[in-house]
Amino acid sequence: MKMSKTGLAVIFAAYVLVPLLLGSNSYVMSLIVAAMIIGGIALAWALLGNLGGMVSFGHSAFFGVGAYVSAILTMKAGVPVLAAMLLGGVGAVVASLAMLPVLRLRGPYFALAILAYAHIFKILATEWTSVTGGSAGLASVPRFPTLMGFDLSSKTGSYLIVLSLLLVFIAAYRVIRSSHYGIALRAMHDSEDATRVVGVNSTLLKALMLFVSAFMTGVIGAFNVHYINFLEPDYAFSGLWVTLPIVAAIFGGYRTILGPLVGAVTVYLVDQLIFKNLIPSGHQLILGALLVAMIIFSPGGLMPLLRKGTRRKHAAA
Amino acid sequence: MLRLEDLSVRFGGLTAVNTVSLSVGTHEVVGLVGPNGAGKTTLFNAVSGLVKPSSGRILFDSTDMLRTPLHRRARMGIGRTFQIPQPMHELTVRENLIVAQRFGTGAVDARKIDEVLEFTGLTDKAERHAATELALTELKALEVAKALATNPKLLMLDEVLAGLETNGKRRFMGMLKELHEKFAVGILIIEHDIETISNLCHRVAVLNFGELIADGTPDKVFRDPEVIKSYTGASDA
Repeated sequence: MKMSKTGLAVIFAAYVLVPLLLGSNSYVMSLIVAAMIIGGIALAWALLGNLGGMVSFGHSAFFGVGAYVSAILTMKAGVPVLAAMLLGGVGAVVASLAMLPVLRLRGPYFALAILAYAHIFKILATEWTSVTGGSAGLASVPRFPTLMGFDLSSKTGSYLIVLSLLLVFIAAYRVIRSSHYGIALRAMHDSEDATRVVGVNSTLLKALMLFVSAFMTGVIGAFNVHYINFLEPDYAFSGLWVTLPIVAAIFGGYRTILGPLVGAVTVYLVDQLIFKNLIPSGHQLILGALLVAMIIFSPGGLMPLLRKGTRRKHAAA
Repeated sequence: MLRLEDLSVRFGGLTAVNTVSLSVGTHEVVGLVGPNGAGKTTLFNAVSGLVKPSSGRILFDSTDMLRTPLHRRARMGIGRTFQIPQPMHELTVRENLIVAQRFGTGAVDARKIDEVLEFTGLTDKAERHAATELALTELKALEVAKALATNPKLLMLDEVLAGLETNGKRRFMGMLKELHEKFAVGILIIEHDIETISNLCHRVAVLNFGELIADGTPDKVFRDPEVIKSYTGASDA
């Protein structure tokens, strides 16, 4: 896999410069981590949309299930936090198995069906009190461990964990997209019959994308629970875990790999650091207006817009 | 190789294909003709798995196709083209063939793809965007190329010549004849042009209102009064 110089520079900056320059400012670090959590879900959501052609309103189900599975495994079975986090992803995949029957639905029907699933899981978490602690939730969920003298539960440590997760997600997304499966998935969007008659099992491929997307979202949910150490159904399955990522992905460009992340960081940080100061209550109004403007002027989102800009610069030079 | 036994396809109250029994032997070229709406494309859709027959059987190499999922039929050797070309969107011509080959045969063989590109005259267009940058003749050629990339034993061609101008038609005809030899496939071809059918096919089957009304050599079938009657109202022949 080829990596551009800009890419390497960004990774270096993210691993070294951000912690060095901002590590001491825990307010800014917590905003960055929050933006990356949304970015991670946005990436997983966009993967399902871009490759699988499915619009999901139910990703909060995977986020919540991942969080609960990881929290319960660490608290009741003593599984180490980092391992439990991955198992949280596996839990979300298992949850997504229940959604397989609705894979045949298209467009808005799939979106609504999966939204219904998200509610089912929320009800489950509320009612299954003996395991989930019910609506009171789970308190003092274990934090990230200290590794070789470095406290991963600190703001900077958590930042480095989520950063690493996102890089792995990006790499996985790139591998999938350029694989034969990825090419077939791209083809399926507008020509499903044509792809099926040459032997592509479209339902299986879509299911695989649902699993990958659910796994990523589940891991992010699990990361989040160990980061904040607390969990309750209304929070874990909140609709915000899907609406914010959708806004971020569409703003950044959901058909690109980096768009959702760039969108999440831009939208969230700009909103929290600037708009919130300008209009303390109702600052989301500006976000809404920005999203509308983006959809009107660059339907592909921010990334295609930036690319067009650089191409124009090259052309002028 | 392909055997249809009393195949019927009904859409609600409409019987599109009515108890049709028909076979295509290995390496045989069979023409499927009939007026518009006779059920020819529906029959193709049933064999390739896009519609579900209401009754009857479809056997391919003695395997019951009705128990075989759509995506596995390509792997078994059933290839088809669409009357209205359906290139895979967003992909280049070459990527179209890679997907067809990878999923239709289970492996990728770049040399075979080059061979198919060359044979269908698409070598120069290989890196073009299939859905937006091809002319009609090229789109039709791509339909054939996609099917060939799956390494078919039976090739079902749905009006591949329709809409082409005379020269394009002649070249395409030459290609189809050569294809039959070179790739050792059996062909079931839907076509309106009687001259084309007579020129290309060993046998002709005629559908009218979903029913098979004739099946035999072109010479014999096109002299059959019932065929002529069904055809004269609906065809330019």
